Amino acid sequence: MNPEYRKLSQADIELLVANGCRSDSWEKVSVFINLDINRLNGCEFHGAVSIGRQELMLESPDGLPRLAQLLNSRFNNVTIGNNCHIANVNGWLSNLDIADQVIIENVGSIICDGESAFGNGQVIEVLNEGGGRELKITTRTSAQTAYLNTLYRHRTKLINRLDAIADDFTEKSKSNRAAIGNQVRILNCGTLRNVQVGTGAHLEGVSTLENGTVDSSLEAPTFIGADVTADNFIIQKGAKVIDNAMLSACLIGEGTRIGKQFSAENSALFANCEGFHSEVCSILAGPYTVTHHRSTLLIAGLFSFFNAGSATNQSNHMYKLGPVHQGILERGCKTGSGSYLLWPARVGAFSAIMGKHSANFDTADFPFSYLDIINGKSYLIPGMNFFTVGTLRDGLKWPNRDRRKNADKLDLIIFDLLSPFTVQKMLRGQQTMQELYIKTVKGQESVLHNGIHIKRLLLKTCGRYYQMALDMYFGDLLVRRIEALGQEATPAAIGSPDPDGEAGNGEWVDVNGLLCRQSRLERLIVKIETGQINDFDRLQAAFQALYSAYRSDEWNWYLAIFEELQGKKLSEATNEDLEGMLDIWQKATRKYLNLVANDAKKEFADNVRKAYGIDGYQDDDFTAVRGTYSNNKFVKQLADMATEFERRYHFALNSINQQQK
Amino acid sequence: MSDTIERVKQVTVDLLGIDVDQIADQSRFVEDLGAESIQSIELVAAFEEEFDIEMDEDAALAITNVSAAAVFIDKVIAGG
Repeated sequence: MNPEYRKLSQADIELLVANGCRSDSWEKVSVFINLDINRLNGCEFHGAVSIGRQELMLESPDGLPRLAQLLNSRFNNVTIGNNCHIANVNGWLSNLDIADQVIIENVGSIICDGESAFGNGQVIEVLNEGGGRELKITTRTSAQTAYLNTLYRHRTKLINRLDAIADDFTEKSKSNRAAIGNQVRILNCGTLRNVQVGTGAHLEGVSTLENGTVDSSLEAPTFIGADVTADNFIIQKGAKVIDNAMLSACLIGEGTRIGKQFSAENSALFANCEGFHSEVCSILAGPYTVTHHRSTLLIAGLFSFFNAGSATNQSNHMYKLGPVHQGILERGCKTGSGSYLLWPARVGAFSAIMGKHSANFDTADFPFSYLDIINGKSYLIPGMNFFTVGTLRDGLKWPNRDRRKNADKLDLIIFDLLSPFTVQKMLRGQQTMQELYIKTVKGQESVLHNGIHIKRLLLKTCGRYYQMALDMYFGDLLVRRIEALGQEATPAAIGSPDPDGEAGNGEWVDVNGLLCRQSRLERLIVKIETGQINDFDRLQAAFQALYSAYRSDEWNWYLAIFEELQGKKLSEATNEDLEGMLDIWQKATRKYLNLVANDAKKEFADNVRKAYGIDGYQDDDFTAVRGTYSNNKFVKQLADMATEFERRYHFALNSINQQQK
Repeated sequence: MSDTIERVKQVTVDLLGIDVDQIADQSRFVEDLGAESIQSIELVAAFEEEFDIEMDEDAALAITNVSAAAVFIDKVIAGG
């Protein structure tokens, strides 16, 4: 026994009985040596119960103080830390280790009724509802781990090793007792069965939680609110699950918000996702997947940085072999109201999908596109979503909306809209469009490519949109380099590779939010397969290394692409060449900012004023509610961006000219 | 200019599927002729093909009516 604890004396027992307490095994109750026995009232003790010092007043979420005491509650095999307020547990607290400064009040039961891994090791059938991509979720499962686990099923050794890592962690998580962490608040809840609750978590009004972990920390407390039911789950740090949400076999990632009757099954929603009203089934939702509307169903799909419009739907079932189909929306896609996709399909990054699509297509090499329905057929308008207000705003808002407060973030996220990942696709898409244009006769209205139509007229125009994006990206990389070099920005220095980066123009992949060279990912996979990476700490460190290499790899990739496109090395570029490249960057960026500004202007055009001015005074009403173009916050931000861009351009130009002198 | 504007009208009529008598010099592509945003891009592409020119996307998409489109195209043809 802890030397600070003692058995109850006969006098203690008599006082406890006088205070309405009872036990069939007083000898198994131990208490802090100087415990004020009067802090225990109306309680029932079974099995081994130990009670820490109870002296302080505690702060409760309702702002009213709570005295550290045990009141009108039942305990079975429970350790209670110091300064806890436990009151009105009508059922049982059973097989628990309750840490310090915990408040449990007006609760049905919190019990552990046998060995449990508390949701760790729970198998969920993500992405393909028909199975075959099972993911074992744990509190340490990151978006990147899940990506490998579900999308690299052909690498049997990898999957076995990843499963073994999860199994090992699960084994170590197993216990016959559930832990309630320091400073946890559990108020007005129903039943928690086989549930671990992490430090600082706040559960209030929860209906039922079964077989799961609410991971939490003081810096990133997790909140579970009214009428939530969840079974076989992992909820990671800083998440908020409220308002009658229903979760079954799910992982809820760090900083994710769930509520308003949202229901989810066999799904993983990683960092900073938002799920309200709607339903998800068998989805692998990477960071920033957002679904807010009651009539929206996301099913059997891979998403990230995704925004679902109302009544978004997909079907994974053709009434043949069952729900075996799946879909991929690469990062940054959004669906318009009432949009529908027939799986299987794959949509390129940052694309907007409108209408009902009944074709199976693959637009992966056409990022920043519109997918629309024209005369009942699916059409692709490549690059059209690049210069929209929405895409720019999304790109600006995501980094600012990272709600994760914990230092040990699991999901690794590269936010860039333009990156080697999207740019390599645009290069391929542009090439494809050129080839299709040459092959297509003038009278032909459209071409069918990878299951989707592209209007012949747009093959040329949309290729130019990609060129604008490429010019902006390559120019921006160059300017960033010049800025970093400062006074040392000689052509040789500018064109030198980053010693920390990997050379070559190889393929890039989006590992559920983390952009990296495929070659680096492959080496990481081999390390897992060979057992060099055999636990979550090593796995996280390996992904972190990929994350840290991003900028260096990006630069070296650009050097290789430059050489491929220009036929010479960047280090061989003359000052004149560099000036020319800056001019191209300037033209493209100015053009882009003008296009976005034009898109913003549409929000103030006559045709969007139709529902304003119910009894006349349309413009006055519109201006009162929506403001004016020039006073719009985003338009001002756009103007600031233009100013900053011009400053950077002149700085880079001067740096190069300085070198000439 | 008069030839340009007639050709602009014809391209617009063909692409938007409207009657020729619905279109006037001052017709606005979006508000009056019902062009959707995708059609605006198609119109630019169609004008480029009709007149065998290349138009700056930002300037071209900022044009709101038939007459302005014709003026712009004439300018591009003249190398302005």
